[in-house]
Amino acid sequence: MTIVIFGGAGDLAHRKLLPALYNLHVDGLLPPRIAIAGTGRKSIGDEQYRAFAKDGVAKFSRRPIDEAAWSAFAAILFFAAADLDSERGLAALGSRLDVIEHERGGNGDRIYYLAIPPSLFAPTVRQLSRARFVPPPEGRVARLIVEKPIGHDLESARAINDAIADTFPEKDIYRIDHYLGKETVQNILVMRFANSIFEPLFNHRHVDHVQITVAEEEGVGTRAGYYDQAGALRDMVQNHLLQLLAMVAMEPPHSLDADVIRDERLAVFRSLRPITGDTVDSDVVRARYAAGYVLGKPVPAYTAEPGVDAGSRTETFVALRACVDNWRWAGVPFFLRTGKRMPKRASQISVHLKEVPPILFNADPSARLDPSILSIRIQPDEGFSLGVNSKVPGPHVRVFPVKMDFHYGSTFGGTSPEAYERLLLDVMAGDATLFMRRDSVEAAWNWVMPILDRWAQRQQDPLPEYPAGDWGPAEAERLITATGRRWLAP
Amino acid sequence: MAGAVAERVWRKSDPDRIEADLAALWREIAAGETRIARAVMSNLVVFRDRIAPVDADPTAVVAGLPLEEVAARHPSRTIVLEHCYGAAPGPPFSAAVGITTFGPPQARYGVEQIVVRSACPDASLLSILRRFVRGDLPTTVWWTADVSTAPPPEPFIEVGRQFLYDSRSWSDIRRAVGAMAAVIADARIDPADLNWRRLAPLQRALVHARGPLPDWATVEVRVHAPRSEEALAWLCAGWLRAARRAPDRAAVTVEIGDAAAMVSVQVGDIAATLTQHGAVVEGTAAPFTIASRVESDADAVADELRTLARDATLIGTLRALIDSFGATAA
Repeated sequence: MTIVIFGGAGDLAHRKLLPALYNLHVDGLLPPRIAIAGTGRKSIGDEQYRAFAKDGVAKFSRRPIDEAAWSAFAAILFFAAADLDSERGLAALGSRLDVIEHERGGNGDRIYYLAIPPSLFAPTVRQLSRARFVPPPEGRVARLIVEKPIGHDLESARAINDAIADTFPEKDIYRIDHYLGKETVQNILVMRFANSIFEPLFNHRHVDHVQITVAEEEGVGTRAGYYDQAGALRDMVQNHLLQLLAMVAMEPPHSLDADVIRDERLAVFRSLRPITGDTVDSDVVRARYAAGYVLGKPVPAYTAEPGVDAGSRTETFVALRACVDNWRWAGVPFFLRTGKRMPKRASQISVHLKEVPPILFNADPSARLDPSILSIRIQPDEGFSLGVNSKVPGPHVRVFPVKMDFHYGSTFGGTSPEAYERLLLDVMAGDATLFMRRDSVEAAWNWVMPILDRWAQRQQDPLPEYPAGDWGPAEAERLITATGRRWLAP
Repeated sequence: MAGAVAERVWRKSDPDRIEADLAALWREIAAGETRIARAVMSNLVVFRDRIAPVDADPTAVVAGLPLEEVAARHPSRTIVLEHCYGAAPGPPFSAAVGITTFGPPQARYGVEQIVVRSACPDASLLSILRRFVRGDLPTTVWWTADVSTAPPPEPFIEVGRQFLYDSRSWSDIRRAVGAMAAVIADARIDPADLNWRRLAPLQRALVHARGPLPDWATVEVRVHAPRSEEALAWLCAGWLRAARRAPDRAAVTVEIGDAAAMVSVQVGDIAATLTQHGAVVEGTAAPFTIASRVESDADAVADELRTLARDATLIGTLRALIDSFGATAA
């Protein structure tokens, strides 16, 4: 098998892909005779590419470099230049890959990873077809991995999907949302469907509401060029947050088959009540960060960040109330929020169970008991906890919400595999469970489009701000407190 | 129910790397033979007014505090924030993380501790606190400084559900009571005073001897205490005044001077005296004693951490004192 990384000398490869492949190598999980070929416009030699990879592994791998393991890994790394603008731009790449595979005894199976801007997806796939990389020879496989964002709206997403579909069948297309590769996200299904205690509670009879928070501490950083065109709704909600929502809200699949699970996630997207017209104004809050403090350090406003237009109206924060209109979740609001420059980097899902009746231990209106909350910590501090009210030992009846806390670090030790490790491994194995299918991507876009359209119509509306280091603007607080609830900070 | 310390591990950290270093510590501990569960019931934010030189080891900041004893009784994620008032403003400059494990091998649990040293402006304190507290746990702010000289900035009130302090440390009662006004004005945070707990036997004794407070609201009361127990005397007076209508306020007087007992209260013919061991009441048909609870500082702190109900009597007492001191309260 050969993995061909378009954008192989880029940031994603440096930070994520090459360290993930190294860790798979250390764990003995890479298939025998594998080759990894980075490709890009600039021609750099294999040795230079190996040095680039080693630097990425040293800086970003969950494990330190083991020199013996590195030597073996370096031997399967190659680099070949490719010019996507030229008619025969992939010819040299093809020849090089043939040689590498011949020398290593490869079987001709290939994975093409598009770690490149979305605008290059379609041209690259066309080139792969023109250069006869696809379809592969009889009996061999050719799989394609594409990174989010897949489009910047429904129309462009469809265009990308159409272009890819001209060359690759859907079964060979792996659309990555790296959140789905996280251990804690995969554990949501295990927790729900491998324990008899939780699943009976996951419905409108027992759940008051659900909160999903994906908070980033970082500002826009070096991504201003992309981010200022995208904003938080496109960058985070349309993919990561909706995928998390689907994992919490989906029905039990009848098998672990990839398409069965993906069908259930899609069913959630299709059950989401559209947020349209005036409802966008009442149920969705957008804002951007102003100057403030993060961990005691002063940080600039979004519009003062390098590369951001001073007149930008891009949102760096979104909070919204979503409703899943199906039998299970009728009447249960899902509150979603995400933002940059929040107090800490944290992703958390919290399932808030209903209050007990206001009698017995909950009779005092001035000292209401805390309702039980199931908190699923996606990152960091991976694990989950369940709050349970318990009597404090002693002669008086005092109730305290104790935590039943599962913590990966202290339970299993070691470091969990990075999301990309699992996802790359799954592509090699041909398992698409943790990847987004075309219909799912387009359903998610379909749901966010009315929000984007409404915002486009209301360009003159003032854009709320929140101080950097805060959990969002006052409008986001009102969104939830108006319903008698409050945000749970991660 | 407190377990004995089995092991303690501390590591110097960088303020930006605290969570990562803590996670690494857990992984190291989990790699050992003994299975260790993380125990976490609350966030305990411990404020320390500058107590160590800037270049001191961060762990020096916890010296003198019974943090392990408290954690053994009520396992909490302990966040010690040393705020260096008066130092040149700047972001957190040093940090340490630690895990202390308790109990026998078959039931071992670990508690995490974070130390952050900072000289940052008050406005930025909230960004430090928010970074480290877990939102799904009740948060107690334990104010180890003298409230009269180091009043709690707004961020501590905003982040906490309980504000724990010890009025024994108050050097200026009036200023301290004035500073507490901001705490009791915010319904989201409950005050909890370790000194207040010591008054309990005397309160029970007086009510037992004279009946409910409003029933003897018109009787003159004199509270007497040594200088070292001035705060306790005023708490007693505030408690009595809270039960009396405005015209009766003058009926409770406080005298600070030489006295052997912690607090003495004269109500008509009845004299109640609070000592280390309990409250003794004389002047009734049959003198009686109510014993004080035997507890360490750690017992008291842990017990308060487990109490989430609002102490309306303490709040009423503080309000009465604020009214009494009026403009003299800062």
